[in-house]
Amino acid sequence: MNRIYNSVEPRVMDDDMLKLAVGEQGPQEEAGQLAKQEGILFKDVLSLQLDFQNILRIDNLWQFENLKKLQLDNNIIERIEGLENLTQLVWLDLSFNNIKVIEGLDTLVNLEDLSLFNNRISKIESLDALVKLQVLSLGNNQIDNMVNIIYLRQFKCLRTLSLSGNPITQAEDYKIFICAYLPDLVYLDFRRIDDHMKYLAETKYQYTIDELKHQEHVRQTKLEEKQAQQAKLEEHKMAFVEHLNGSFLFDSMYTEDMEGNKLSCLPIVGELLEPLTYRDKFVIICLNIFEYGLKQHEKRKLELDTFHECVQEAIQENQEQGKLQIASFEEKHLLNLSAIREESDLPSIEKKIVECSENITELFNVLMTLEMQLVEQLEETINMFERNITDMVGLFIENVQSLYPFCNDLENHHHEKLLEISISTLEKIIKGELDEELPDDVRTLFVDKDTIVNAVGASHDIHLLKIDNREDELVTRINSWCTHLVDKIHKDEIMRNRKRVKEINQYIDHMQSELDNLECGDMD
Amino acid sequence: MEVLKEKVEEEEAAEREEAAEWPERMEKTRPAEVQKEETIMSQEMLRDLERKLSEIKVPIPAEPPAVIEDTIDISNLPPSYKTNTPKEQHLLQVADNFSRQYSHLCPDRVPLFLHPLNECEVPKFVSTTIRPTLMPYPDLYNWDGCANFVSDFLTRVPLPDPLKLPSHLYSSTTVLKQQKGNCFDFSTLLCSMLLGAGYDAYCVSGYGSQALCNMDLTREVCPLTVKPKETVKKKEKAQPKKYTIKPPRDLTSRFEHEQEIKKQEEAKAQEEKRRWEEEERLQEAEKEKPDPLHGLRVHCWVLVLSGKREVPESFFIDPFTGRSYSTQDDHFLGIESLWNHRNYWINMQDCWNCCKDLVFDLGDPVRWEYMLLGTDKPQLSLDEEEDEGLNDDDDIEDLDKETEDKSFDMPSSWVEQIEISPEAFETRCPNGRKVLQYKRARLEKWALYLKSNGLVCRLTTYEDLECTKILEIKEWYQNREDTLELKHINNSTGLHTDYFRPGHPQALRVHSYKSMQPENDRVMEFYETARVDGLIKREETPRTMTEYYQGRPDFLSYRHINFGPRVKKLTLTSSESNPRPVVKITERFSRNPEKPADEDVAERVFLITEERIQLRYHCRDDHITASKREFLQRSEVDSKGNKIIMTPDMCISFEVEPMEHTKKLLYQYETMMHLKNEEKLSKHQAWESEQEVLEILKLREEEEEAHTLNISIYDTKRNEKSKEYREAMERVMHEEHLRQVEAQLDYLAPFLAQLPPGEKLTRIQAVHLRDECLSDFKQRLIDKANLIQARFEKENQELQKKQQWYQENQVTLTPEEEDQYLSYCSQAMFRIRILEQRLNRHKELAPLKYLALEEKLYKDPRLAEFLKVLQ
Repeated sequence: MNRIYNSVEPRVMDDDMLKLAVGEQGPQEEAGQLAKQEGILFKDVLSLQLDFQNILRIDNLWQFENLKKLQLDNNIIERIEGLENLTQLVWLDLSFNNIKVIEGLDTLVNLEDLSLFNNRISKIESLDALVKLQVLSLGNNQIDNMVNIIYLRQFKCLRTLSLSGNPITQAEDYKIFICAYLPDLVYLDFRRIDDHMKYLAETKYQYTIDELKHQEHVRQTKLEEKQAQQAKLEEHKMAFVEHLNGSFLFDSMYTEDMEGNKLSCLPIVGELLEPLTYRDKFVIICLNIFEYGLKQHEKRKLELDTFHECVQEAIQENQEQGKLQIASFEEKHLLNLSAIREESDLPSIEKKIVECSENITELFNVLMTLEMQLVEQLEETINMFERNITDMVGLFIENVQSLYPFCNDLENHHHEKLLEISISTLEKIIKGELDEELPDDVRTLFVDKDTIVNAVGASHDIHLLKIDNREDELVTRINSWCTHLVDKIHKDEIMRNRKRVKEINQYIDHMQSELDNLECGDMD
Repeated sequence: MEVLKEKVEEEEAAEREEAAEWPERMEKTRPAEVQKEETIMSQEMLRDLERKLSEIKVPIPAEPPAVIEDTIDISNLPPSYKTNTPKEQHLLQVADNFSRQYSHLCPDRVPLFLHPLNECEVPKFVSTTIRPTLMPYPDLYNWDGCANFVSDFLTRVPLPDPLKLPSHLYSSTTVLKQQKGNCFDFSTLLCSMLLGAGYDAYCVSGYGSQALCNMDLTREVCPLTVKPKETVKKKEKAQPKKYTIKPPRDLTSRFEHEQEIKKQEEAKAQEEKRRWEEEERLQEAEKEKPDPLHGLRVHCWVLVLSGKREVPESFFIDPFTGRSYSTQDDHFLGIESLWNHRNYWINMQDCWNCCKDLVFDLGDPVRWEYMLLGTDKPQLSLDEEEDEGLNDDDDIEDLDKETEDKSFDMPSSWVEQIEISPEAFETRCPNGRKVLQYKRARLEKWALYLKSNGLVCRLTTYEDLECTKILEIKEWYQNREDTLELKHINNSTGLHTDYFRPGHPQALRVHSYKSMQPENDRVMEFYETARVDGLIKREETPRTMTEYYQGRPDFLSYRHINFGPRVKKLTLTSSESNPRPVVKITERFSRNPEKPADEDVAERVFLITEERIQLRYHCRDDHITASKREFLQRSEVDSKGNKIIMTPDMCISFEVEPMEHTKKLLYQYETMMHLKNEEKLSKHQAWESEQEVLEILKLREEEEEAHTLNISIYDTKRNEKSKEYREAMERVMHEEHLRQVEAQLDYLAPFLAQLPPGEKLTRIQAVHLRDECLSDFKQRLIDKANLIQARFEKENQELQKKQQWYQENQVTLTPEEEDQYLSYCSQAMFRIRILEQRLNRHKELAPLKYLALEEKLYKDPRLAEFLKVLQ
């Protein structure tokens, strides 16, 4: 690609260039004078045009936070970069450049119109973030594979597509193919797609499209399932009983327990069944804890919801009162002000001004009283809530801690039995009475009594540790949650209070200063 | 006609004789009846009874046939009106016997109303005068519709003697024809209709108050003036939740509070007392004078018992007014008897306390003495009631059957089917007009389309009892093209309020005004969904205009415009309108959820004379103060002579949360420019609103002037256009029919008939047939031509004769005779000309017709196969 620009020196996007462009494209005439007087901040600019500037590298655009429209066409840009901060961008024109790869657009989630006309792109990619994309112009590029079209299926809003001048258009069923795979498309290569064409495309590619659809559907459902699972797990985590609704804990006890695993190969160990296996019993206890945890979680949620609701109501009511006070004050104040303006007698003006400022002070007092009242009321409520929620958490912990010992007991029981069996097996081995063949690594354990006792003991310890760890985790997490919650509520309340006091002060100050100004004006 | 009259008179005489013979016949039948009673009474009682009965004279209708309105033409009445069937005769005997026993047992009670004479002077039992009929109008399906119709349709005629039962009871058909009657006629008609509609209704003969008997409503409050009581919805107080905040501590003195309450209560009690006294005084003033005949005035009304048609509680209907009363009402002073189409009951309960203590359990023989055993009211046993209820649904159809089923039952009614023509139903009141006088109110009703301006009802309310000072007038309209529904004129304030149905060209709903002149106090309400701009209401005073909007895309909800005094124009030549200068425009907007609160304007005020614009923004959700901004539009020139575009002191703003970009002059300048534009638009809007008001006023005046009425396309009687169309259609249909008949005319039929039936045609026969037919047709054509020719010649001859005669006597003729002759001549000439034309036409058409018939015969399926071969 030999362009005439190549003979010219590439320019850098520096501050001067941007300022010049902004100034030129900014407000005109009277407003322009004002703008010049004040200067325009880059972040206030909504649209920027930088065409025919011989730009090689996009740069220095990070200040344009609120830019909506950016035109960078007819330059010699080779890479898409430096656009990460322009998240508000809706319209991006990069046509007539030397771009080879689509990239660097991942943050432009609001982009609706993207033009990459007349570049050197050969593959449509890296557009996944542009969910709002409506218009995509990729004409005069080097796209030569139909697979690229299927990639475009994910853009549900895409209505206009331009691919003319690409090698792909040479394919004989190019149009029909696109119509079939992008059924929502309205304009292709600057022309409207008519219904006949759509019908043809539909009939021709019906099977492949159906298959594709099916695949997409399957993928979608899988994704949804996964999300649902994730959500459930999240909920369980909120209840602090995740993974307790099954054999997860039990399994985790054995994952790190080499000896235990080996020992379970013992034939008799496998038959350590009473009516219920050790595993089943364990799972039942876990399930108990799980159910209880969920129930408690519901309770806590309800409690929290009622609390929030009540607090909101109280604040709302207080706000209404405040608004009412302010409205009545303003009415009076306006009357007073106009009276002052009309008054010509100096002493009476002063008298009235004094009256006004008294009114302002009174309003301040009233508003502050309301606020203080609310603070007191809320404090009381919050304290009550804190007490209740702490009690709840305490009860929950207590109950859970009373359930865990069952696990321990089971484990102990199991341990004893295992030990017994192991020792008896050892004796058998020593006596040579063992019938079955044992795996070698298991046989190594049965060397003497100490070894086997140690092995069994180690397994037991690991099990106990796991159980205790789970219990500790639960307790610490719920406690931290509780303290966090209470802290947050307190903090929020303090923030709210400060904000309100600040607001009141600001308002009163404004009123007062307005009155003072009036005073000054009258004095002159 | 005279013969007919004589005949009628004879009949009447015969009937009268018959009636006179009645008592005698009664005497004869009595023993048999008494024997029947033997089973119940002891011998001693029987003897006693016999003795007493012989002493008693049967009450004969005392008065001679009352002076009946002589307009009743009884000649056209069906025979059932003029005679009694044997069954009815029997019933009358039973009734007489019943009456005798009754007067024996209760000698101090007045005789019963059992069998008054009908319009043909024939005694008829009251129950058979009731003819249950279901009317074909949906309005008459419910009791209130029926009652209102009867009260509207008939005119009240007072009883001949207010203290005595009437001697006559006309059939409902006659009453409907005459459109007038007494309370018994009213009740009978109403009862028939209610029974037909499935109600458990009864005619009641008893005593009513003076107001009731005289249809005097002047002590009643007009039902239209009574405002419906607003149902006060009690807000359910929310259950205090667990964390509801405690109210702030009450620091006021409880003692003081109590004292305050005490004081208030005292004041309240005093007020109450005063009001009570006032009311007492008023009531005293309004109280009617005591009636000397209280409790003696005979009245007849309708009782509807609970049970059927989901009537929850028994009630009375006064047929004169069509109003319902509870059975405890003070107006009803006593009941003698009651009846429906099945049976007759006598009230055996004491009426010392009006009707308040009466129990309407007709199955209770102690309280209600029934006349016929067969159709007992099965109210005592509750199980049967349901079965009865089921059967009663098709009462009317089963009437005849049932009467046959039972031992002795009420004969079916002698009255013809009650019919009300649609015209009469629509006209309702006699002559379509009715006036009712209520307490401090006067109600006038008109039939639909009677008044050219669509007025159907007018209620005038007065301040005083004598009805001299008008308080307010309400007029209801119907079928108006301008959808005017109700006009309300308040006389004391002079306020007119017009209410419109949906569909007015300007979407007007309510228009209240004192004068139709523009720029006065007025309120217009609109159907906002019908308007593009979503205007709900526009209020005007001489200096202001306030508009309320709803559902606009720009969220405008309120606009208030203050006008200044009109500036006088110096140039008188300019004919264009001179709008008042706008001083101030206030606009309020509802919250636009898409904008942040700090940028969403809640109120903007254009102070046009002061060149100021004030903005107030919406309040954020968690704030109590809202941002404000004020712009001063001054185009000043600074010291260097440059125009000042924008200076910081031209915009005073208070921001809840100060933002950076709003401090900029550029932003403020742009906002101000935008607002200036908006100001222009608002001013234009104000001007447009004024124009619209003028337009509406003009339109209203035109509409009032024209007051055209709408006629429904389904109204076949009034809709001229559709009538014409229908008639045209009918005419076309008729012609079409004639043509078809002609087309179907069988030429061959008379000739085929000559042949022996059932045999197949031979070819010779077919040819013969054809020839015969053709020759016959030819003959007819010739005959016709001859006939026309003959007539033509005859006319000609006569004319010639006349001319001859004229020429001979020309001198002696009187001018009249000459005129006569001339007119004859012209007529004769006309006839001759017509005949000539006909003849010519016949001559022209005859060959064609002949050919056409020949063609037709060739194609005739019966002859075709033979004739085809011929060809």
